[in-house]
Amino acid sequence: MPEIEGSPGTSMHGVTGREPVLAFSVASPMVPTDTTAKFKLPVDSEHKAKVFKLFSLANPHMLTFHLSWLSFFTTFVSTFAASPLVPIIRDNLNLTKSDIGNAGVASVSGSIFSRLVMGAVCDMLGPRYGCAFLIMLSAPTVFCMSFVENASGYIAVRFMIGFSLATFVSCQYWMSTMFNGKIIGLVNGTAAGWGNMGGGATQLLMPVLFEVIKKAGATPFTAWRIAFFIPGWLNVIMGILVLTLGQDLPDGNLGALQKKGDVAKDKFGKVLWYAVTNYRTWIFVLLYGYSMGVELTIDNVIAEYFYDRFDLKLHLAGIIAATFGMANIVARPFGGFTSDFMAKRFGMRGRLWNLWLLQTAGGIFCLCLGLVNSLPLAITFMILFSIGAQAACGATFGIIPFISRRSLGIISGMTGAGGNFGSGLTQLVFFANASFSTANGLSYMGIMIICCTLPVTLVHFPQWGSMFLPPSKDNVKGSEEHYYVSEWTEEEKLKGMHLGGLKFAENSRSERGGMVASVSTPNVTPNHV
Amino acid sequence: MEVHSGFLAVSLLLSFFVAATRGSYFSQLKDTLTVTATHPQGQVLKAGDDQITVTWRFNQTYPAGTDSDYKTVKVKLCYAPISQKDRKWRKTEDHLKKDRTCQHKIVARPYAASNNTFTYTIKKDIPTGVYFVRAYALDAQDVEVAYGQTTDAHKTTNLFEIQAITGRHKSLDITSVCFSAFSVVSLAGFFYMEKRKAKVSQQK
Repeated sequence: MPEIEGSPGTSMHGVTGREPVLAFSVASPMVPTDTTAKFKLPVDSEHKAKVFKLFSLANPHMLTFHLSWLSFFTTFVSTFAASPLVPIIRDNLNLTKSDIGNAGVASVSGSIFSRLVMGAVCDMLGPRYGCAFLIMLSAPTVFCMSFVENASGYIAVRFMIGFSLATFVSCQYWMSTMFNGKIIGLVNGTAAGWGNMGGGATQLLMPVLFEVIKKAGATPFTAWRIAFFIPGWLNVIMGILVLTLGQDLPDGNLGALQKKGDVAKDKFGKVLWYAVTNYRTWIFVLLYGYSMGVELTIDNVIAEYFYDRFDLKLHLAGIIAATFGMANIVARPFGGFTSDFMAKRFGMRGRLWNLWLLQTAGGIFCLCLGLVNSLPLAITFMILFSIGAQAACGATFGIIPFISRRSLGIISGMTGAGGNFGSGLTQLVFFANASFSTANGLSYMGIMIICCTLPVTLVHFPQWGSMFLPPSKDNVKGSEEHYYVSEWTEEEKLKGMHLGGLKFAENSRSERGGMVASVSTPNVTPNHV
Repeated sequence: MEVHSGFLAVSLLLSFFVAATRGSYFSQLKDTLTVTATHPQGQVLKAGDDQITVTWRFNQTYPAGTDSDYKTVKVKLCYAPISQKDRKWRKTEDHLKKDRTCQHKIVARPYAASNNTFTYTIKKDIPTGVYFVRAYALDAQDVEVAYGQTTDAHKTTNLFEIQAITGRHKSLDITSVCFSAFSVVSLAGFFYMEKRKAKVSQQK
């Protein structure tokens, strides 16, 4: 049964939390091991690893994992490096509240476009060069902070640094070349979560660097500029490590990729059409803007908030702000776990309720965060809010793979872009405005999260139902096959292009819940590299 | 038992409330100090270079003995309204513990009724802005009881402008360019070398 090789977006087939979260390895009968291959880890016929050994550096699979998530982590550190230092930068550059807010918007806007382009870049140059190009070309933008003298310079530099967040795409793409489809969910979820942690780590790192450099004798307005050299060097170092230690494929580098160029590809236009005309895509674009988007917004504003509202020292505000981003280490996988857990009993309806509950809880805690006046309460609500929002991110990608089989890649990409768009919009409306205090901005954002999560009630799958409606009783319309195969025309079905979709439909029957038979995970093996 | 725990809760709450509202309010302070600040006229003062000479004394028009509880004087550099616009972190609040108008300390001295003067070299971490000088008189419990400032009640007269240092240095700029160039060149170098290796091995 031929899969569409190299179809646009198949590289994103790894971006799921759907595969059971505790799947650290794939047993041999399910996916046969290639015994002729000489790798440290057991591999399948494409030489992709069947096992995810977290604390190993086995070349190339686990080494790639660590290079990949570290690169993504580094770009988060660079993108949000300015945030904990804003109390100093705003005095040096004479910034107003709108300047600070606009810079925050700029920092997340660039990657809306760069993430969409990065997929094509990875297809052309391979994920290794895609990643290395991005982080080494964005290193100069980080070093540029030493030149900035006014608000426009500051906004421009933050915009340029923000492009580097597209390493998310190269990271997930690279993982899918190295790991078997049955464990790619956990691998990608871990990589994404640990990368996002960079937004928290930077809140801790930058104030400490600033204090150390100040103690060494620099004046504050010079010290923060010197501090920026560290994220810049991290970019360069990671780029060099990726180039020297990394490889595109288990068997080597780019050359093999180009040999597969003569296989039939799916038409980009068609894939885009089925993504864009599926209303569920747009609901999730909106929703992710209020889980991931909110997380990016908080990375930008929270340190300054604690510094101003509670009169904390810079490094203390940074430590508190860091706990928000660092929660990603468990919170995002937790969301995927609860999604799978609910799906066992209640199927897709359970997943939808799970997402709604987590994201709304996050919104409520965000509302409370803006309202409280005491520091311990604020920290408590912030931590609860972070768990809610980040788990919602994980839960979102537990549902996305089921929206479409043909257009999964583009839908994942659009959802990711929606996250950044939501962040930019929220910062523009609530945090760049001099008329709202940051505390009020947080509370309004909480209310907005609650409201913008409501559309998940409208997501209805004829074969599985929605939050309030049961599945269709119709034998034809209520089948998984009907839903997934409807993405292909009769002509395409004649060519057999829909067969992968059929297989997926069969495997997805587990989304009916009630411990239905066929609990094997849908085969989302990306079989192009 | 219930009465005791209820009483405890109430008294705890009360003490928090009291602690939060302890400290003076600006509107309660008396304007009993006369403060003047002299500086190079007609120009913007440069942080790190220029100096301000501040003098303060007790205003003799007030009855003698008004200053009996003044123990220390804290002189501060304060933001004028135009420098507070769109910058809530410099907001003026009546409750002095929350007030953010005067964030930069010039000097602190034990209180003396007259003959107080201090020459202040503007520190390098003072931001660009429009300022005035205010002196607070504090009692033995370190609570503000009186003040004096160089400007009027509406903070419109006698203001002066300070220009901050940029924080930039030539050495920093050069280092920045060098590292950026290194990053781009090493990337290009790797790419070129690998393409050449691939071509050579293809030709073989």
